[in-house]
Amino acid sequence: MPVIREKQMKQLTFIKNRPPSQSAEQIDLDVTPIMSMFLILLPFLVSMAVLTHISVLQFSLPPNVGTGLADTGEKPKVKLTVVVAPEYLAITGGAAMLDSLPLVDGLYPLDSLKAQLTIRKQSAQVADEIIVAVRDVVAMKHVVSVMDKCRDAGFEKIGLSSAAAGTTGGP
Amino acid sequence: MSILIKRKGYARTAETAPEDTVFRPQLTSLIDVMTFLLVFLIKSFSVEGNIITPATNLQLPLSTSQKRPAVIPSIEISRDAVMSEGAVIVPIGSFVNAEELTIPALHSWMLLQRQKAADTAKTHQVMIQSDRDIPFNVVKRVLYTCSKAGYTDYSVLVIQKE
Repeated sequence: MPVIREKQMKQLTFIKNRPPSQSAEQIDLDVTPIMSMFLILLPFLVSMAVLTHISVLQFSLPPNVGTGLADTGEKPKVKLTVVVAPEYLAITGGAAMLDSLPLVDGLYPLDSLKAQLTIRKQSAQVADEIIVAVRDVVAMKHVVSVMDKCRDAGFEKIGLSSAAAGTTGGP
Repeated sequence: MSILIKRKGYARTAETAPEDTVFRPQLTSLIDVMTFLLVFLIKSFSVEGNIITPATNLQLPLSTSQKRPAVIPSIEISRDAVMSEGAVIVPIGSFVNAEELTIPALHSWMLLQRQKAADTAKTHQVMIQSDRDIPFNVVKRVLYTCSKAGYTDYSVLVIQKE
């Protein structure tokens, strides 16, 4: 029995004292199964991958255009309106101009718009509804960006309307 | 995964070089790449997929909205024409400068669609797929025509911003 123990100890000492190159040579990893698994799994996952996520942005049309809103006969409350013009953004409440935000380096100041809307929302008669009035020449991507900022500022219902040129003054 | 190479023409002693050498290609880097790819694909894996396939000839606007789209009738506004399911309903040039806001061809087509879907609960819903560079003048006319045809619930399809 002690002879066997001594033999095992000698083998262990030999393994510990082997140079690294020699020990690496003796490890023969068979990577064939994992490569086969990759080859099956990758085409399946590539076919099921969703690289662009699609979503929707809901809005309504003004009551005189849409047919879904009933006339209650009450005095209409003043809603905040964001006018999207090619040169500026404007926030109005009824006929009163509240804020005017000109383009900065050719871009709409969307962060300033969100900050102003958040402030104006606290004193608005209708706190969850806003109208986005857009001039004819404005591209749809800007309309969607403004609608996004209105939603971020806490307005849940967004109405989309057309703004005739000259109805709201610029900065 | 190993290739047996028989080397010839070399004068070697029996101690330094064996007659047959097993050549093993280095697969560590390949497995690393595969692992990164696998993690990325599992991360972007979706069981549901996209239930709406956007039209190929238009670029949707970007938005932070996270509301999932539903399967409802949709109108596609590309740079050239107003379409539905890839079929051209009316070219944009024929109505963009007209005085009347209603687009007659689109109006009659939408009335037909409402009659076809009369037994479903989604007769008032319409989804707009608009190119991001289309001027609002075109979208306004399409929306006006939709409202005249009796549609009241509108949504615009967008690409979700990360």
